[in-house]
Amino acid sequence: MELTTNVPNLESMSECSLKHYDAIYMGMPYCWDYEGSFSSGNDIEEGVELLRELGKKAYLSLYAAPRNKDLERVFYVVELGLDAKVDAFEVFNLGVAKKIKDEYDARVHLGGLANVYTTSTAELLYSLGIDRIMPAYELPIEDIEKIKEVGVEVEVVIHGKIPLGISHECFVRRFEEEVGKRCPKLCKEKLWFKSEDLVLKPFGQVTLSGKDVCMYEHLEKLNFVDAARIEALSERVGYREEVGRIYRKRIEKGFDKKDFLKLIELAEIGLCNGFYFNKAGQIYVSR
Amino acid sequence: MVDLLGPGGNLEMVRKVFEAGADSVYVGVKGWSRRSKKYELEDKEIIEAAKIAHDFDGELRAALNAFPKPAEFEMFKEKMEFLHSAEVDAVILNDLGLMRYVKENYPDFKIVASIGCNVINYEEAKLYKEAGASMLVADCKLTLEEIREIKERAGIGIEILIHANTDFTYLGKCWMSSYKSLKYEKIGEKSYYIGSPNRGGVCFRPCLSNWCLNNHAFGNLPNDMFLLLREIPDLIEAGVDCLKIQGREYSTELIYEIVKFYREVIEAIESNNVIFEEWERKLAEIAKRRDAERLRRTLELMGVARGEKIEI
Repeated sequence: MELTTNVPNLESMSECSLKHYDAIYMGMPYCWDYEGSFSSGNDIEEGVELLRELGKKAYLSLYAAPRNKDLERVFYVVELGLDAKVDAFEVFNLGVAKKIKDEYDARVHLGGLANVYTTSTAELLYSLGIDRIMPAYELPIEDIEKIKEVGVEVEVVIHGKIPLGISHECFVRRFEEEVGKRCPKLCKEKLWFKSEDLVLKPFGQVTLSGKDVCMYEHLEKLNFVDAARIEALSERVGYREEVGRIYRKRIEKGFDKKDFLKLIELAEIGLCNGFYFNKAGQIYVSR
Repeated sequence: MVDLLGPGGNLEMVRKVFEAGADSVYVGVKGWSRRSKKYELEDKEIIEAAKIAHDFDGELRAALNAFPKPAEFEMFKEKMEFLHSAEVDAVILNDLGLMRYVKENYPDFKIVASIGCNVINYEEAKLYKEAGASMLVADCKLTLEEIREIKERAGIGIEILIHANTDFTYLGKCWMSSYKSLKYEKIGEKSYYIGSPNRGGVCFRPCLSNWCLNNHAFGNLPNDMFLLLREIPDLIEAGVDCLKIQGREYSTELIYEIVKFYREVIEAIESNNVIFEEWERKLAEIAKRRDAERLRRTLELMGVARGEKIEI
């Protein structure tokens, strides 16, 4: 099982924070304006070089919600990625994925926002050459297993905040005055949407789960996947390193109660299982 | 000439929508569409709805635009066989792979890519066309220029919502409701995910609760009524193929009024005899009634999300 994570920009890449991972998704795909984001075309060559030195695979995440006007820029970033010899592109838009396969024949990993829910679509995409699919975040384990049976590589999130929606705009930009920070500094602030029992985290054009999806206790149930992601794009310094250390140890040596307690401590809003068990995403089920 | 498409949340609504002047009506297949089962039709009702549609020289579209579980593909095939034998004219689908299946096995079915596909650029539209869709429902957030470009570059028909709500997120790309309170049930052998718009059709509308950003209370997340009027001549001029009125959950009386209103607007536009100020006054009256019904529905859905026992 390949252990992956994501980093938004060159500034966030340090040897110690990445050492526990096999492969790194480079870029913040939920906003063009995020400072230094690889997804917007910044520092791609330098990022790939650094990962090569560390012995990691380098995947480039592309902007997640491209309208017509964005396509030219998306394919410009693709060309930068090809020049830098990235190992794969993470793509969230099916039209962009098809064009990359048709015109560049590069390796494509479909991200969770591509909304792959069924084996029929997984088969179609696999026949078009798509190499890896992160099934829709909303799928339970039994449905993800069926997608794996198609033959395509499957990646899932095993820890971190998952997207719960993507918008056409960054909604928190409307609150620059109240927060006292302007874009692009705004999303470095600790921001939470709260209503009744829901806490969510705005991050560019996406809204993330407030709770950290955590499959530490249930990891064996996901043994069939090819890659397991620690979602850490929006996290503070140290989170990526610590969570990576814990899951690397979990994969190689098994369950450790102390590590699980550390994950609880790191989750500011708490833990949940997402949609893996056919329950509301914010519920946590103990093993 | 542009088609006017209305909702059929029940058999009576199907008939009234045609009487009001719609060219076609869409209905949800029980357990398979992006709405609550309360507003979907049983098989025998679909047979009847198709007869009503054809009596009016109209078209019946069946929505199966909630994503089924992978293990339900055989059930989907059976449902398609039934819809074909019931002489339904078109199917509304969300799933690329299911579109390909329908295209290969029922080439006479017209396939509409649901709004839940969230097609936002022409490269994606080309892919849906290849999979079998001859028409796609455009996201409410797309501009007229974007719609025109998608139609031209992908060569696909375009359906536009003229009565709907614009959501906080792109449609089909929101899981806030299921994160909050997903409930898993079954309708016979078919899985039914209450609280998941993509899988079971019901959304608990958490975006309409009162929200804070840290300590700043700001009310609901953006989710606004969407009633087009002055834009319609430009849409027709841009070659939009179908104007769609959403609203299976509203009362038949209200939907009848809305469809009749838009039929008259289209006729006035086509005869170059439209005074928008007058139509805007009428539309404002309709909007008030529509808002009142929507608020009642929203409160029901929020109640269920909190655990109240209400049939939704």
